[in-house]
Amino acid sequence: MNQYQYDAYDQQIVEERARQFAGQVERRVSGEMTENEFKPVRLQNGLYMQLHAYMFRIAVPYGVLNSRQLRKLGYLARTYDRGYGHLTTRQNVQFNWPKLEDIPRALEHLAEVQMHAVQTSGNCIRNVTSDPFAGVAPDELEDPRPYCEILRQWSTFHPEFAFLPRKFKIAVTGTPGHDRAAIRYHDIGVRIVNNEAGERGFEIWAGGGLGRTPVIGKPIRKFIEYEHLLSYCEAILRVYNLYGRRDNKFKARIKILVNELGTEPFRLAVEAEWALIKDSALKLTRAEYERVAQHFQPPPYEKLAAAPGAGGALLAAELGRDRDYARWLQRNVLPHKVPGYKTVVLTAKDKDTPPGDISDTQFDAVADLADRYSFGRAVVMHTQNLVLTDVKESDLRDLHQRLVELDLATPNHGLLTDQICCPGLDYCALANARSIPISLELNRRFDDLDYLNDVGPCSIKISGCINACGHHHIANIGILGINKHGAEAYQLTLGGNDSDSASIGRILGPSFDEHGIVDAVAQVIETYLALRLSDDETFLECYRRLGDKPFKAAVYKDATPRDDDSEQAVA
Amino acid sequence: MRVIKDRKIVDDAWVLLAPDAPVPEAGDVIVHLEQWNTGRESFSGRAGKIGVLLKSHESPEQIQALAQLPLIAIDFPSFTDGRGYSSARLLRERHAYRGELRAVGDVLRDQLFYMERCGLDSFALKAGKDIEGALSAFQDFSVTYQAAADDQRPLFRRVNR
Amino acid sequence: MAKRSGTHYVLSAQLLETGAPAYLTAAGVWSTNLQDAHTVLTDEERDLLLAQAEQQQRSVCDPYAFDVRVERGAIDPLSARERIRAAGPSTRVRRPDPQPPATLSRASEPRSDAGE
Repeated sequence: MNQYQYDAYDQQIVEERARQFAGQVERRVSGEMTENEFKPVRLQNGLYMQLHAYMFRIAVPYGVLNSRQLRKLGYLARTYDRGYGHLTTRQNVQFNWPKLEDIPRALEHLAEVQMHAVQTSGNCIRNVTSDPFAGVAPDELEDPRPYCEILRQWSTFHPEFAFLPRKFKIAVTGTPGHDRAAIRYHDIGVRIVNNEAGERGFEIWAGGGLGRTPVIGKPIRKFIEYEHLLSYCEAILRVYNLYGRRDNKFKARIKILVNELGTEPFRLAVEAEWALIKDSALKLTRAEYERVAQHFQPPPYEKLAAAPGAGGALLAAELGRDRDYARWLQRNVLPHKVPGYKTVVLTAKDKDTPPGDISDTQFDAVADLADRYSFGRAVVMHTQNLVLTDVKESDLRDLHQRLVELDLATPNHGLLTDQICCPGLDYCALANARSIPISLELNRRFDDLDYLNDVGPCSIKISGCINACGHHHIANIGILGINKHGAEAYQLTLGGNDSDSASIGRILGPSFDEHGIVDAVAQVIETYLALRLSDDETFLECYRRLGDKPFKAAVYKDATPRDDDSEQAVA
Repeated sequence: MRVIKDRKIVDDAWVLLAPDAPVPEAGDVIVHLEQWNTGRESFSGRAGKIGVLLKSHESPEQIQALAQLPLIAIDFPSFTDGRGYSSARLLRERHAYRGELRAVGDVLRDQLFYMERCGLDSFALKAGKDIEGALSAFQDFSVTYQAAADDQRPLFRRVNR
Repeated sequence: MAKRSGTHYVLSAQLLETGAPAYLTAAGVWSTNLQDAHTVLTDEERDLLLAQAEQQQRSVCDPYAFDVRVERGAIDPLSARERIRAAGPSTRVRRPDPQPPATLSRASEPRSDAGE
């Protein structure tokens, strides 16, 4: 099945959780529980309060969904919501319009298909995320998903870590040379690596994060054997639970602790704790690893040759005949480690729809497509797209046609209009400014696919406030919504990167209004096109070579000096 | 006062003293950590038990003569302050503490399951809360995944899956 | 102490049932229509109403007050946040997203919550 299947124990746990929450909802509605008492309980069951309604965040462990689950999400969107759901930056799916008293029933529905909303909010260990191409990417060293599942079970209802100073996010990558899980920006980041002796194990990073104070994590353990994964994470969590700050919500993440202690003292504290528990029963057994890993055996691939004229020649042929299809092949269809197969990105990024939104009809249709073309599985990307991981090359044309009909075929994966965008002030109570209209306006401005392809890979990420849920800090071009004297305004950051050569973007200068920011982005792109050494020099490379200066000059050339406006975003 | 002890409601006579309050000649009293550490020799003659309160910023290593204590009370100043869960596990698993481990402070029914897993075995529920209703919280889950004080083996070591 | 001139307070919360924004009316019930809201001038009145709202946990969550201007009988929030909160998301979604009709929901009698 190529996905973890629940046994009776897993199933019992999610069912009992649904019953537990049903009782808690009753006690809240009756008034026996106050809102303050109920809040952490509902958060850890995925129910978050937004601007207009509750928001219900369903866990999708490391992004993997089967077709039954996709149909269930379509059903929930239709029955309990307004007909759509939203893909999140942690590979989850959330709904924007649930009613409190519907949630227990929704959790029962989810349990029927081995899903839940456990710990998707709250000051606890959240969804473990990973590479959306896990298991199929040709450059992968080892499939991270078994370890993600093992970490999921370890963290689910962990009794010691349900009331941490703040939320805690873990990500795992199995491709040490090309991190597609942004592990350096997580509270714990795990890289599967080989040591000098060629043994397989993990490199453990800690203290990364975005939010108000973006920090690239630190590698605190260069190598640890697979059997110590749980005990090492437990040591980190215990140190964080005991010593993380609890006096100030905005200084409570582990990144602050690592920074204030210093990396080396933090590392020593973790190692000291770990030394005392490393030989405990927490040690992962070979048997347990195998039990979980066997769920991720490859699906029954056919023995195929790669398509004739693969690569450039195929593309040239298609470009002549069907430009749409050719462009889609070029951008959205990715290499697969098995000959004759490809990985296909379903971009939820068109000009008219909030990025990452999926309607109930789309959920149902993708379920059918998954069954027909990809062994019944799909994956949520943290960039708010979906993936069909195992598509035969011979099926690509048919699939493309179906995706065009579904508005999931915009050929812009990795380009300027494949943005990450938080819900922003349209939905979120924390936001300072709207983000979705900016994204849509940028998509309308940059709708020429030739132009987009000429620009090449360039990430835009948009956050509606300094909590940075849109990951703007690690975008090549980041947009941050701020509150400027009660009005929405936008800051531009340049030069961020979410992968191995990690970097935090820098604020370019004073902020803009909603029209100005779109113009500014356009000017940045024009500047890049004018100054790049060649077509092959990416935006990020160009920015790193030249620095802020030419971009600043271009964007602010008509600006008159004003009061100091290069403000830190206001809380 | 009524507390939950070993999953039953009992009446008990433990009294939590204010910090630096004089320790009465008789009666079961819980003193603050500093008072225990500095004054424990002087308590030996009295009629009645002495227990120690561990506040959330204090750690088990700081408790002297731990094994002598019939009761340690772990304070949860707010139910969102999760340090007591780690302290409880360390007391049970690292310090092999066998006496009564009591949760005091902002203790609510919805945390009891986790608290018990971490080694707490008695609970002074927050005033005004339904103590009878709280008992069912211990049955919330019949299966648990991870190691804790109640069973130091993760599920994968307890059963054949 | 009177509020600075030109602005009033409106008391707001989220409905327990749906999380929808609700505004306190002069009659003491909660409406989902901002224009139904009772506007308050003094800090004292605001604090009194807030304290009462805190007792209405069975119908509303997290009550607070925000600033508005009242012009020709129309209530206009000072912040973009409250304007969007009152009007709904500004973005079109794939399916038509109708605004819910404004509803009045009776606040329950002040109830002493167990333990409060």
